[in-house]
Amino acid sequence: MPAFKAPAPGFAVRFSPFHENRLLAAASQHFGLVGNGHLIVLDLAAAGPGPGAAPVPVFSFPTSDALFDCVWSESHESLCAAASGDGSVRLFDAALPPAQNPVRLLREHAREVHGLDWNPVRRDAFVSASWDDTLKLWSPDRPASVRTFRGHEYCVYAAAWSARHPDVFASASGDRTARVWDVRDPAPTLILPAHDHEVLSLDWDKYDPSILATASVDKSIRVWDVRAPRAPVAQLAGHGYAVKRVRFSPHRQGMLMSCSYDMTVCMWDYRAEDALLARYNHHTEFVAGIDMSVLVDGLLASTGWDEMVYIWPFGTDPRAM
Amino acid sequence: MSGSPPKPWERSGGEGTSGPAPFKPPSGGSTSDVVEASGTAKPGENVTAAERNVSANNVNSTVSRPMPQRPWQQTGYGNTYGGYGGSNMYSSYGGLGNTYGSGGLYGNSMYSSYGGGYGGGMYGGGMYGGGMYGGMGGYGGYGMGGMGGMGGMGMGPYGNQDPNSMGPPASPPGFWVSFLRVMHGVVNFFGRISFLVEQNTQASYFFMTAMLQLFDRSGMLYGELARFVLRLLGVKRKPKKGSLQGPEAPSFKEPSQQFMEAPSKAGNNWDNVWGN
Repeated sequence: MPAFKAPAPGFAVRFSPFHENRLLAAASQHFGLVGNGHLIVLDLAAAGPGPGAAPVPVFSFPTSDALFDCVWSESHESLCAAASGDGSVRLFDAALPPAQNPVRLLREHAREVHGLDWNPVRRDAFVSASWDDTLKLWSPDRPASVRTFRGHEYCVYAAAWSARHPDVFASASGDRTARVWDVRDPAPTLILPAHDHEVLSLDWDKYDPSILATASVDKSIRVWDVRAPRAPVAQLAGHGYAVKRVRFSPHRQGMLMSCSYDMTVCMWDYRAEDALLARYNHHTEFVAGIDMSVLVDGLLASTGWDEMVYIWPFGTDPRAM
Repeated sequence: MSGSPPKPWERSGGEGTSGPAPFKPPSGGSTSDVVEASGTAKPGENVTAAERNVSANNVNSTVSRPMPQRPWQQTGYGNTYGGYGGSNMYSSYGGLGNTYGSGGLYGNSMYSSYGGGYGGGMYGGGMYGGGMYGGMGGYGGYGMGGMGGMGGMGMGPYGNQDPNSMGPPASPPGFWVSFLRVMHGVVNFFGRISFLVEQNTQASYFFMTAMLQLFDRSGMLYGELARFVLRLLGVKRKPKKGSLQGPEAPSFKEPSQQFMEAPSKAGNNWDNVWGN
């Protein structure tokens, strides 16, 4: 399973929760500063097993502004959402022709939307994290946001739903905190002063509902237990620059994937003595997006500003595929 | 609720390995219902937001969309597509997947004649409907305002229409885009230069390494030659003390002991060699 050349620097990849061969990718011209964005759905099955065959884009939609994140719907197999630099969240249906897309344009954030996550438990809502310091909760059957979450003092970069609790999600912000929110509570349940620098990403352990990992500009990843937030459970050092994204494995407990501005993708096991499991340096530019397949154990994807999208199984060389 | 296949972690136990999480037990019902039941939904705030979105869907002519945050937003085509033509299709957007497929052409709205921005110029007044994009690249010049009522096939009075461009419309080059393009070229250029420099550095490094290795080896060659000449001259080198090698060492010891006695007065057998 080979690499795909995107039309612009890549910013996010997501495996479909419905089809093991579908991959969603968001790319933006000129490193997301100005210019157009592209939302692409790749079909990995069409590539075939042989080397040199590339995944085929089955859906490609250019947008007016940069796209920073994308997410698949958990409730509808061809629906996906993209976070745009003009402050809008756009819903796309990959089964419809481009002329009928986007199916919904949700324009409420005042500044760039940088992170999206779809509720994987109840599957009927998603949150968006924006540089206007707020998060918003959306339901795809509503034309407006259900709720706004205020409290962060600086840009919110990412949000992640708990994999086990339908009402809980967490957010990572440039105010150096990560916050845990319950959609029923007006204020955050927990304010976690996670790092000494901006927190760029976070994710929940899928197997332990109290464990949270945060990734920061201070080059480290910290794993936290929300019941004992005074000190991190583990600190993973090894990246040479800011860690852009972190994600827990859907299949193996304790396994994390991270990508960084040091142009590498790393696999970790935070519970192991020697935490770094693998380091991939297949990208020649900043790595901006990673994902692990929910349906195929060990299938990884990454994209970066070298405009490449790589898909490879854990344990192999991405470039060899 | 129907949805994606069950997650791998859902097949494992309900609780985590380190005990339950400290959250309130989950509520039943949909997420929006849960939020509204909790009283945190702030309906007043959302009404305005809803109106904004609905009005964005209804816009057909001139601007009534929210003002943009950044000037370069206007360089694209997307946020000017003035809403989806079928006016209120999405306000009756019921169950997911059954309504929004009903012909959502956002075509019969013109680009909503955005006349602000740089020099009162108008960007991309054309039609995107039916894949048409009259590439009205009026950058800063024409200053024509009310394109709003112009229907049809993107036939603006100015500009080069390209009826065959079914693909994504090219964005008119704004200042930032062209600037960035130039920067891209510059960065590319220096990237290539640095690549060449690196290659040359590596080449010279390899060259130096090879030379040093050559000198090193030639020293060994010299030593080997010297040993050969000495052997021709009938001189035997003193093996170092304690350098017994293998099982044949004791047998080797005997002549060397003999040998050691003769030149030991001179202290060094090499002096002895060249001395007489």
